[in-house]
Amino acid sequence: MENGAPHILLIEDNPGDADLVRLRLVEGYSDVHVNCVPRLADALACLEAETPTLVLLDLNLPDSHGAETFRRIMQKVPNVPVVILSGQDDETLAMKAVHQGVQDYLVKGDITSKQLERALRYAVERQGLLRSLEITRRQQLEFKNQFLSHVSHELRTPLTCIHQYVTLLLDGLAGAIAPDQADHLRTVLKSVNQLHAMIRDLLEATRADSGKLRVEPRCIDIGELIQQAVAMMRPTAAEKRIGLEAGLDPSIPLVYADPDRTLEVFINLIDNGIKFTPPDGSVIVTASRVETDPASVYLSVSDSGRGIPQESLPLVFERLYQDPDAVDGNRAGLGLGLYIAKEIVNLHGGRMWVASQPGSGSTFSFTLPLYSLAKLLLPVITLQGRLREALVLVRVELTPLSKSLRGSWKETCQRCLELLRQCIYVDKDLVLPPTGTTGPVETFFVVAATDMNRVTIMMDRIRGQVGALPQLKNSGTLRVTAEIIPGPPAADPRTLEQQVWGVADYVTEIIQQGLAGKQNFTEKEKHKYAHGK
Amino acid sequence: MRTESNSEKQPLNRAKIMVVDDDPDLRQALSLRLRANNFDTVNVCDGYSAIAMAQKEKPHLIILDLGLPAGDGFAVLKNLQQYPALSGIPVIVLTARDPEGNEKRTLESGAVAFFQKPADNEELLGVIRASLQAGWGWGGALPS
Repeated sequence: MENGAPHILLIEDNPGDADLVRLRLVEGYSDVHVNCVPRLADALACLEAETPTLVLLDLNLPDSHGAETFRRIMQKVPNVPVVILSGQDDETLAMKAVHQGVQDYLVKGDITSKQLERALRYAVERQGLLRSLEITRRQQLEFKNQFLSHVSHELRTPLTCIHQYVTLLLDGLAGAIAPDQADHLRTVLKSVNQLHAMIRDLLEATRADSGKLRVEPRCIDIGELIQQAVAMMRPTAAEKRIGLEAGLDPSIPLVYADPDRTLEVFINLIDNGIKFTPPDGSVIVTASRVETDPASVYLSVSDSGRGIPQESLPLVFERLYQDPDAVDGNRAGLGLGLYIAKEIVNLHGGRMWVASQPGSGSTFSFTLPLYSLAKLLLPVITLQGRLREALVLVRVELTPLSKSLRGSWKETCQRCLELLRQCIYVDKDLVLPPTGTTGPVETFFVVAATDMNRVTIMMDRIRGQVGALPQLKNSGTLRVTAEIIPGPPAADPRTLEQQVWGVADYVTEIIQQGLAGKQNFTEKEKHKYAHGK
Repeated sequence: MRTESNSEKQPLNRAKIMVVDDDPDLRQALSLRLRANNFDTVNVCDGYSAIAMAQKEKPHLIILDLGLPAGDGFAVLKNLQQYPALSGIPVIVLTARDPEGNEKRTLESGAVAFFQKPADNEELLGVIRASLQAGWGWGGALPS
């Protein structure tokens, strides 16, 4: 074996068997360390302290039996070879263990020292081989991801160049052009944008693969987000004379999701629906709730297209899946859109699936978690089984100067949120998760479980600290207001939980009103989706 | 026609913009567009020249690529902060790199905005104008 004396952890509760195996080991090796323990718990403690060369394991221990025993060991030290000591009667189980990754088994009472030494030596060799295969596999995956990422970036530079000069020509900056020429250039631009979208998808998929895709959930109005997606995709639908509508249940509460990413999912599904629906068909986006799953909102995009054959249904979310029957002029994308969409939904803790009837369209559905204000509020606004006497809702509004710079504004808002968290009493006040989608005005809410006097002090502190932030001074204004949240009537028959729900509903309504008044359609997103497709 | 009249933005006309990009074609395309929008332009192709040229020309705004020879974009941002006369110049980063990781870092290093290539021309021009206005508002840092 490799460096120096092998270190063997022998897990055997029968002292006679243990002594015998130890004897055989000492006979087989000139130099060997054997550590013998009788129970699984002791073994796990030993493995915590030191990693042995090999584990020799009896399956039936005082504190663990059968398959559970080797699973626990292998979970603890996946890289250490395990050899099982089985009795005559449990050879079947020992074989099963070998299928599940145990290196070998030896039947007790039938072990010679030579056989033992040889079995252990090969077990170590095989485990080493497996390990290096796994390392190679990981390296190759990493290399593939780096390669894709590098290539995608390099492709962008010449693409940017084409984009720049085509738009120069189209905008007449290099002289007037004839209408026909302009048409041709627009066709070039469309293809450039398609290529750009493909590169974006490739990078996103690579990121998803390597676990680098991230979501930043906020408290959002999903209906508004759907309207936004529908408005963005309407021109594309109109080009094909496809009706695009949203069927929204207005009673849907706020959702806890990343607005940019969720918009991406909707755009993706709608675009897909339009692509596979013939002219004069329709695409409908709906949002609803399901009684059996009260913590989620159910979202779906249905089309009246030709549907997906039964056998392809499990494949559509696979990477690089493309419809084999795509015939019309629609250029297929890379086949990554649905894969990315599903990954994004998974990251939110939701799930995505598809149902389809060939000939009568497909419905892609997914779930997103609802924003549970009551759950957040419960520990803050209750004290000894009762609702706190005074509750105040503080609203902190950051408004950018007329032409603020989008990138830095987002950063500024984040910085303000951090400062805001420092201005409150941790155990008595709660800064709610950021609200709204991607509008320029940022509103934060603080629920303060205290009276107006202390809130006034807190508001002064917010005005002083957040207002003094240099980034904010240069790019926006701050407004801090507060209102008392009405308490329950003196003789309130409701349970505490219902009362908390009441407060949550009240606050939610105020947040919703605030969201409704917002303009959340940024130029960048308009561009990203209107031009990208 | 996407170019708009600049008549109501009189004070912004003839502001000087320095374009830092190692790709000559991209530099030229951007300069053409900026000049068509009544800006003066200065072009440089690497990080070292960016600082030297900024000292000489005192531009009102810098458009900066990140991947550059002789000192990348981050080094340029850092170096600009070393000179009081240059530290107030608004810098817009325009790069092929991903916003993930880079956007936050550039903004923290003093850039006013981050664009990924290819950027929407109108949006870029909008941010240039907004930055110049804000820059003028800061007073003193920019030559009149």
